[in-house]
Amino acid sequence: MFNISNLTVSVEDNEILNNFSLDVGPGEVHAIMGPNGSGKSTLAHVCAGKEDYTVLNGEINLNGEDLLDLEADERSTKGLFLAFQYPIEIPGVTTLTFLKSSLEAHYKANNKEVLSTPDFMKLVKKKSAELNIDDSMIKRPLNVGFSGGEKKRNEILQMALLDPEICILDETDSGLDIDALRLVAEGVNNLRNEKRSFIVITHYQRLLDYIKPDFVHIMYNGKIIETGDSSLALELEKSGYNNYIK
Amino acid sequence: MLTEEKNINVEEQVVAYCKDNIINQDIKHPLYPARLGAYELFRAHGLPTTRNEQWKYTNISSKLERIPSQSDVKPVPVNLDNFINNFEIVKKAKENKDSVLVFMDGAMQSQLSIVNTDTKTVSVTSLKKDPIPDWAVKLNSEKHSQNVNEMFNLNTALMEDGAIININNNKGIADNIYIIHVGNNDGFYNYRHMINVQNGAHVNIIEFKISNKVDIEALYTSSIIWQIGNNCVVNNVKYQAHNQITIGFNQQYADIANDTEFNSFTISSGSKLLREFRDINCNGSNSNISISGINLLDGDSHIDTMLSVKHKAPNTISREKYKSILNDNSKGVFQGNIIVDDIAQKTIAKQSIDALILSKNAEHDAKPELEIYADDVQCGHGATTGQISQDSLFYLKSRGIPEEEAKRLLVHAFLTDALEEIKDKKILETFADVMNNMLNRVSKGNLNV
Ligand SMILES: Nc1ncnc2c1ncn2[C@@H]1O[C@H](COP(=O)(O)OP(=O)(O)O)[C@@H](O)[C@H]1O
Ligand SMILES: [Mg+2]
Repeated sequence: MFNISNLTVSVEDNEILNNFSLDVGPGEVHAIMGPNGSGKSTLAHVCAGKEDYTVLNGEINLNGEDLLDLEADERSTKGLFLAFQYPIEIPGVTTLTFLKSSLEAHYKANNKEVLSTPDFMKLVKKKSAELNIDDSMIKRPLNVGFSGGEKKRNEILQMALLDPEICILDETDSGLDIDALRLVAEGVNNLRNEKRSFIVITHYQRLLDYIKPDFVHIMYNGKIIETGDSSLALELEKSGYNNYIK
Repeated sequence: MLTEEKNINVEEQVVAYCKDNIINQDIKHPLYPARLGAYELFRAHGLPTTRNEQWKYTNISSKLERIPSQSDVKPVPVNLDNFINNFEIVKKAKENKDSVLVFMDGAMQSQLSIVNTDTKTVSVTSLKKDPIPDWAVKLNSEKHSQNVNEMFNLNTALMEDGAIININNNKGIADNIYIIHVGNNDGFYNYRHMINVQNGAHVNIIEFKISNKVDIEALYTSSIIWQIGNNCVVNNVKYQAHNQITIGFNQQYADIANDTEFNSFTISSGSKLLREFRDINCNGSNSNISISGINLLDGDSHIDTMLSVKHKAPNTISREKYKSILNDNSKGVFQGNIIVDDIAQKTIAKQSIDALILSKNAEHDAKPELEIYADDVQCGHGATTGQISQDSLFYLKSRGIPEEEAKRLLVHAFLTDALEEIKDKKILETFADVMNNMLNRVSKGNLNV
């Protein structure tokens, strides 16, 4: 379904990802854990099509199609979603306008009929209520003045609206208190189904108490150095990364 | 130096042109003394150079090479009528029984214009018609006698036509007046509008200035003199979209009395060289004004805004908010002076000048200046120059929004708070389509930095 193979990526002549490979099947949840600077966000950005990186080698395939030649917007409309570690604030564009443009772009790219404005509003209201997002928040400029929790809930709202096949969550738990964490995790769990897959990037085992992964990978120096099931996360929590880093 | 030579050449041409014009004027005409005086002043000073502080960033001689030659006959083309009527805005205006004044190449086209006479609150005549109302003669000579602005003097010496508008309503229902100016032939055009807003009147004046074709070589000077009374609400929006070879010098003077709201918003795009000179005087207390605008520049366009706002009475508020978008090799210049007289206590004056640069070679210079002689005031100014944030662009694209649309959203976002200065919601609606087209152009342009 979603396959990353032998991906080598550099930034300003520093190799950040080093022959990285990962296969994600339909409906699977993969957690990627690793110390700061191991390349987790870089991986997420490269998958989503950020341009500051040089891909030296490898492929990223979604349903057999190589994403590397596609623009970020095309990757999105083909079913990839990245929940940002640091969602961007955009003054002057309301969250609602942004959601509408984004959803319309998806419908257009996939030759679907664009929702009427009332239907769009209904959909947004329903999805945002599930995430405890109130009307006033979606009328505000995108992420501007949002608290950490509001920003992350907004990311999950976008994910819920865009109905992606592969979701990459980059430290969605960082900066959240326990209530916000529970809400966000519930939002993610509601979206789990036999087709949709997740790559959950996190520092802490905590999130994985709520979002139960099928696989846990430890990433270090731009590649996966250990893979296991959810018990690996628990072990890691106890013993720290040092046991795995050679 | 080559450029100096050019300057002298074109200056000689302009002086000669003025002289011919003056010789042909009727010396008994009430505007003659002002014309003659202005001509003499212009001849003495010539065209401004960059040595003049107010022209520091704009070298006229590098843009103005000659007076465009004029076709002898200037018939109103058959298509102009169609052209005007195809304008969605004109259609709506006519439906609403608003007044629509049509100008072609600086000359009023009475057969295409309509003045709403139902309400008896708007009267319109033109500079070409006799008699010129006394207030207009007086206003004209007052402005002229205090004036040191070369391009205004040139305009006074040469002005051929223009609208003279008197607004006298007091029921709180605004009169809407559209002034549509179409550039249709090569040549040198000079026109002046004078607008008298009487005490208590509400009026919306919407100006359009457009080039009908991309290859019309026009040089023009224009002036608008506003005289605005007490307790008025005046909303003015000017939209000017010239072709890339038009050179224009616009002067705007406004005198504002007590308890009046004056919002003047300008949207400019195109032009080889466009000068926007504004001199706004808050002469009475408790007035609230906004002088704001948007500039959209591409190609080799150069727009120079020289704005001076003078607070001459207590308790007045002024806002100036300008946003410019610059692409290709364009250049934007903004000089904004706020002057607060010693008696103008409790003045609030805010100025912000922001530019978004979309290409490597575009340039924006902003020079704010505050001269404050009162102690109890709140004055502030800020200027920024920036680029489209790549992080923002990536964020939008990562949600499926194509690059062109993402840029459009970001450009629109940048312009949003300036657009809020168009206070009349109906006018803002009117401009929604116009703005959309403009934004489409910007986001479709070769913006790849
Ligand atoms: N744009 C960039 N320019 C230079 N170095 C970068 C850039 N992005 C990431 N890096 C470097 O790549 C390494 C991995 O960073 P990152 O992917 O953010 O790690 P993680 O998300 O695992 O903490 C770090 O050493 C970081 O400094
Ligand atoms: Mg990271």
